[in-house]
Amino acid sequence: MIKVSRISKRFTSYHSPADRLKEKIFRKKYHRDIIALENVSFEVKAGETLGIVGQNGAGKSTLLKILSGILLPDEGSIEIDGKITGLLELGTGFDHELTGLDNIFMNGTFLGMDKNEIERKKNAIIDFTELGNFIYEPIKTYSSGMLMRLAFSIAMHAEPKCFLVDEALSVGDVYFQQKCMRKILEFKNSGGSIIFVSHDMNAVKTLCDLTILLDSGCIVSYGKPKDIIDHYHGMILKKSHLGETEVKISEKKDLMGPQESKVSTEEVELLSFKILDLTGKEMTYVESEKVITIKYRVKALKELSDPHFGLHIRNRLGVSVFETNTYCMGEKTFPLKKGQVAELKWELDLLLSAGNYSFSVGVANKGYGRDAFEEYLFLAHDVKVLEVIPNSSSIVYSGIFNMKPKVTVQEELLEQISHY
Amino acid sequence: MNLHFIFDLAKRDITEKYSGSTLGAIWNFIYPLVNIFIFTVIFANLMGSRLPGSSSTYSYGFYLTAGIIPWTAFSNTLLRTSTVFLDKKYIISKVKVNLSSFPLFIAISESITFFVTMGIFLILLVISGYGVSRTILLVPLLYLIQQMFAYGLGFLISIFVVFIRDLKEMINIVLQFWFWFTPIVYLYDVLPEFAKKILVLNPAFAFIHGYQSIFIYKEFPDLEILMYLALTACVILFISYFIFRKLEKDIRDCI
Repeated sequence: MIKVSRISKRFTSYHSPADRLKEKIFRKKYHRDIIALENVSFEVKAGETLGIVGQNGAGKSTLLKILSGILLPDEGSIEIDGKITGLLELGTGFDHELTGLDNIFMNGTFLGMDKNEIERKKNAIIDFTELGNFIYEPIKTYSSGMLMRLAFSIAMHAEPKCFLVDEALSVGDVYFQQKCMRKILEFKNSGGSIIFVSHDMNAVKTLCDLTILLDSGCIVSYGKPKDIIDHYHGMILKKSHLGETEVKISEKKDLMGPQESKVSTEEVELLSFKILDLTGKEMTYVESEKVITIKYRVKALKELSDPHFGLHIRNRLGVSVFETNTYCMGEKTFPLKKGQVAELKWELDLLLSAGNYSFSVGVANKGYGRDAFEEYLFLAHDVKVLEVIPNSSSIVYSGIFNMKPKVTVQEELLEQISHY
Repeated sequence: MNLHFIFDLAKRDITEKYSGSTLGAIWNFIYPLVNIFIFTVIFANLMGSRLPGSSSTYSYGFYLTAGIIPWTAFSNTLLRTSTVFLDKKYIISKVKVNLSSFPLFIAISESITFFVTMGIFLILLVISGYGVSRTILLVPLLYLIQQMFAYGLGFLISIFVVFIRDLKEMINIVLQFWFWFTPIVYLYDVLPEFAKKILVLNPAFAFIHGYQSIFIYKEFPDLEILMYLALTACVILFISYFIFRKLEKDIRDCI
């Protein structure tokens, strides 16, 4: 369990170390204040995973360093019950002249394990790394992926109550990343708390129970991963937006207020959104592998020279299943005058596996390049939710969607066998 | 911060300083022994220096050795402790360590070198027939006071070295001068009166003269100035700890 209250951290940037002394002697300010964190508070309960997202420079790494005790905050307090282990950057305290095995002992000691504990867990740690005999080689011969494997294995086996993971996991091949994810889930299930800093939005959506969005040292929003990441994307879109009108972001608020999160310049309005079956009736659930029709109407509140309309389908965790727009599809649209309404009709063969899916709508103007727009006018997440139920006359499968496989099984003839 | 961790660091310090080399930990002992050998051979044999009042050829060599072994421990402890936050930056900036007790591993590691070289010295004293008196039992106490002073001063300086890196070079130079201001190579007796008076202000004189009293003159060391040294060491430790608490945040930010 971690409880963080009103943490603030300011870095003082001096032009030269001598200025620091000058300040103490002459009592005049010789430094520049950089506010890294301001008034940050949150709580992570046992077994919970907290994600922290934000742009580079938002304060994420500083926050992790304060949590692991490497930096001291200017204000605020931290309550942690139990050991906290961080995986900040690769090779924490590794000595590159020593072998992997020696570093297990050294790093293990730094992470709070005593000699007997490390001796006991030594084999488990080595097995997890899958480094084989490389464990006896000096780590200066290791690749960054191998270093990560070693670092992660040691950190995990230190059995902390709380585990801090920084971008370190982005190095390493897919196989090992997945192995780490599985181990992290095991850790979660045994009651450990995790604080996870990442730019991999899908990983955050899948692993985290709650997420914090940091921007310039402040918590901008704090809530369910899907909503926070939507907000984050809204912020990024806002920065990519080249139009004149400012993009406004509205958050999804629990219970009260709008039930969808929206990013909008308020130059277009979504009038209606319907999901219809073949007979034109509105549906809330549908069998998989049926054709559905989506109709939505958009009203232009200003003149749009080259408007394009998009559709985005996401699963219950907010992970994107499919998204595209008229520009990416190569469809020509026509300019809209102020006050005009465009009606969009989408037809989709919904091959998705059973589950809950949400539909989002986007409107943008003036496309360029492969998939970019000059003006991002509107993005509404989760406008409608649709439940997809299994199709009884289809095959049994699991995964994201039905790839409609064809398979043949033949008996092998005896002549072919004798060739081997 | 547990003791086990610090001892582990000390052990590593000895073995890993020369990791990757063939002779490994033995290098730790080679430097001081070579120093002693050079001084003894050059001064005793080539320059024919003798200790007045002693008939043994090697008494001057022993005089040197009695001063150099503790001086090595003292200056190494002082120098390395004062730069510990810079040297171990790769650990401190990644893992949580208790910064005030962390540098102790240096004092411990130097102690091991000290006791091993002292052991060799004692054997030489016995073999040569020079002999040892019972006053050597005071050596551990003398050493403890010396190291307390080294650690306290080193820690005090280490706080500031983080902000003013030049201090690192300055300590080196100061130690060079300090060595020659202490009667290790030359005898206390050859100094003029005014020098003898101010020499009592040299903290290193207190313990170096103590070792020389014990090993060469086979007398009790001057306990009075040793007591002053111990007191000074305590005061320095208190002050440095106090300043450290005030500046810990800035130190961590700067590393």
